[in-house]
Amino acid sequence: MHVVDLQGISKKFRIPSARRDTLREHVFGLFNPRRFEDLWVLRDIRFTVRKGETFGIMGRNGCGKSTLLKIIAGIYRPDGGSLDVRAPLTPILGLGLGWNQELTARDNLLLTGTAMGMSLKELGEQFDDIIAFAELERFVDLQLKFYSSGMSARLAYSIAFRAVREILLLDEVFAVGDGAFTQRCQDRYTELHKSGHTLLLVSHNPETIAKHCQRGVLIDGGRVAFEGDSEGVAKAYERLVGGGEPSDGKPRTEGEAAG
Amino acid sequence: MRDFIWTLIRTDFKARYHGAVGGFVWALAKPLVMFLVLHQVFSFLFRDRAYLYNLLLGILLWSFFAEGSTTGLESLYRKSFLLTKTSFPRWIVVMTSIANSLLTLLVYALSILVVLMFSHGRPSIVCLLLFVLYIFLYVVIVFGFSLGASVLFLKYRDLNQVWDVMLQAGFFLAPIMYPLSILPEKYHFWLYLWPVTPIIQFSRAVLIDHAPPTLKAHLMLFGLTFTVFGIGALLFRRYAQPAMETL
Repeated sequence: MHVVDLQGISKKFRIPSARRDTLREHVFGLFNPRRFEDLWVLRDIRFTVRKGETFGIMGRNGCGKSTLLKIIAGIYRPDGGSLDVRAPLTPILGLGLGWNQELTARDNLLLTGTAMGMSLKELGEQFDDIIAFAELERFVDLQLKFYSSGMSARLAYSIAFRAVREILLLDEVFAVGDGAFTQRCQDRYTELHKSGHTLLLVSHNPETIAKHCQRGVLIDGGRVAFEGDSEGVAKAYERLVGGGEPSDGKPRTEGEAAG
Repeated sequence: MRDFIWTLIRTDFKARYHGAVGGFVWALAKPLVMFLVLHQVFSFLFRDRAYLYNLLLGILLWSFFAEGSTTGLESLYRKSFLLTKTSFPRWIVVMTSIANSLLTLLVYALSILVVLMFSHGRPSIVCLLLFVLYIFLYVVIVFGFSLGASVLFLKYRDLNQVWDVMLQAGFFLAPIMYPLSILPEKYHFWLYLWPVTPIIQFSRAVLIDHAPPTLKAHLMLFGLTFTVFGIGALLFRRYAQPAMETL
């Protein structure tokens, strides 16, 4: 049974020739109209993730991975195709969660936790576990603005790993913290997999994908370039980066994609 | 979702009062002290009691509009740290942004009711219920405005400056410092389109003059509320998602 199903997902961004963010700029720009270019970041992406599977998404920087993740997480809306996510999903995007710098770690944790759909009761029960996992017991009532970037990233991963519901979506996991923390994350990852959670892992490190995933896809130029078992994905990625015809790695525009 | 709404309100509140111990006392004390100061100063300045109460009520209702619409306008932008990382119904952020201003308004409203009870005359139950209705419609108006404005603010980042200027003009456009009757009758209809005006005038009618407005006037207020909320909600529905993707 599948839990995440992507059927021909496409996404475009309208890129203006000049950026205008204020009313003033719009008024002064009335006689100088902008041109818009449609940039297709994702084109006809199809794959299916089964329940309990560890699934990797690979690709180089700028291939559309992050956009794809945001679509799966429900933050961006696709411009074409359909997405079916059948279980509650905990996303960790771009090294961290949204933090409010003025609030303490405790409040930030409660805010993001409830925003992801957990109840205060669930969070209360797991609170100590989450903080212990991040080794931040001494700093729990410290405002986030006093945290180092490593500390706040640790907090984010702790929430993800301790408070995960059905599906866990991870962007560049195991890239944070010292050796001990990385090891703890990996142990927890294995544990989650054994207990039947579905894990989606995004990385541009072939070893991570080969080691931690069963299957996966390789995204290149906004399309699925390879789909199969994770060793195959890792090899395809190395071929893509290493030898052969190097693709420019840039997302394609409408004309190219059609042609 | 209920837990999320509650946590948002609580943390907004905390950020505003810097998490001070007794932050709640502070939140209540601030509007209360403000009310007492205004009351004392204006009592000293104006011998005319009816003018004094009209002025107080006008200022208190106005301050909710000014504060609520400003925080509402900035709400999506200020919560972009959540919007770019998690998915949840976006209007919740706009709705909860008004909570703090609403709390202040309720403290003000209770204070002025107490003062009116003791030194002016007790409004009837019907009048009190009508006042509660006006407060409700007022909140709907500010919420509707905030829905539309918060999305536009993501696109036009100087909209808060524009709104600030409009609020300054709006203060004098509404009959707060002066009675509406000093302006020519033919302009009244247009003046009532500025939503603060009917809310202030109707509240004065029920709380101070004890003479509720006509049914027709009420229907027009409902129409105005519905229009403001409708436009805001439509803008939000249509543009919220694409605007947030540019954050």
